Amino acid sequence: MEHMRFLYFRLLIFLLPLGLVTARAQEPPYFVTYTHYMEEPGNLEIETSSTMGIPRTGQKFYFAPYAELEYGVTTRWTAELYLEGQSTWGDSTIFTGWRLENRFRPLKREHWINPVLYLEYENLNEASRIQKELVGGAPDVSSPNSELRQTTAHEIETKLILSSTVHDWNVAENFIVEKNLSQSEGFEFGYSVGAYRPMASMASGTNCRFCRENFSAGVEVYGGLGSTNGFGMHETAHYVAPVIAWMISDNSTLRFSPGFGLTHESNPVLLRVGYAYEIRGFGSRVAQLFGGKR
Amino acid sequence: MRARALLGMVGACVLAIALAAGQNVSYQPDPDWKAPADAESRVNPLVKKPAAAAGGKKIFLRECVECHGEDGSGVLKKHAADLQRPVVQEQKDGVLFWKITNGNADRGMPSFSKLPEMQRWQLVLHIRMLRQH
Repeated sequence: MEHMRFLYFRLLIFLLPLGLVTARAQEPPYFVTYTHYMEEPGNLEIETSSTMGIPRTGQKFYFAPYAELEYGVTTRWTAELYLEGQSTWGDSTIFTGWRLENRFRPLKREHWINPVLYLEYENLNEASRIQKELVGGAPDVSSPNSELRQTTAHEIETKLILSSTVHDWNVAENFIVEKNLSQSEGFEFGYSVGAYRPMASMASGTNCRFCRENFSAGVEVYGGLGSTNGFGMHETAHYVAPVIAWMISDNSTLRFSPGFGLTHESNPVLLRVGYAYEIRGFGSRVAQLFGGKR
Repeated sequence: MRARALLGMVGACVLAIALAAGQNVSYQPDPDWKAPADAESRVNPLVKKPAAAAGGKKIFLRECVECHGEDGSGVLKKHAADLQRPVVQEQKDGVLFWKITNGNADRGMPSFSKLPEMQRWQLVLHIRMLRQH
């Protein structure tokens, strides 16, 4: 029975985007690292992704899907809502919470280094496994969901995103500080760094789907850095993860990343898959519904 | 006198058709959106490869058409630039490249620095092909 529920949940998450209308997307291939490329104003991007943890001996396989709605409020302000769940083999499938994030780009023009300020509110329980970022120590992947879901955390997360475009390469560094408002565990720290580039610099004149220009690839490295109670890399999880994105149509992008654990606290392998779908002029269409001119 | 009235009527008709089509005939460039001198002097490396404009058209249709329209005349409700007009076409390649790269946050034009540099130059090639004849 649990096995069937697990399969239905997975099927639902993967089929969700297929019923949506068309749009466009050309996304960086990163899953964890943020760049200075903002969502275009008025566009809505819908993404479903999942994180799958291949366990160590004695641990259970888990599958953590999440849905992401990203909206370009202005050219320099992007807002996102996340809804996430988790399914552990031989345990249960549960909703683990939601996040609301905002990214602000303070500078108008492109610079050698482009800073972006990130502010997120999280309402999650301890069973959350999507690992959109790693902060503090390693996540608990051993306790049962019934126990983990009892503890809900209200957290504020901030990031300083630094991102550069260098000869078609994007290089980005994120510094993370997170505060759990529900418990006094101090401030937790984390990082992620990444680099990627498109596989071809020029666009061909034909509408090809397997051309190199539709692919981008790179690598990201991310992990926790402890907290104010114990800063450093002791008992923290770290991953190095090749990333690849394929713009499968003018409307959508598929991303994949196998992450390899670098410490004993990491999963040996963390597989990530994501499918992004962008609706152009979403804001205008909604405004028109209510008689607006936008 | 009669000729002036006729000219006025033709002008009004053209304006009405343009407005009905959603073109931004009233577009006025942002006087504060100026490329630096070093950007002006940049030469399009694809200027002797006009065939690359086909790729530029493809990118334009994907990235720019929402605001500028398929023919580049600018969508009125988006307050987007009419790329066919001399005020745009008289700008140097390097200036157009800089504007595509940086965007204009004050007027809602996003930055397209996420596109590889050569693709941005391809866009410049395509914009040149939108020139009114």
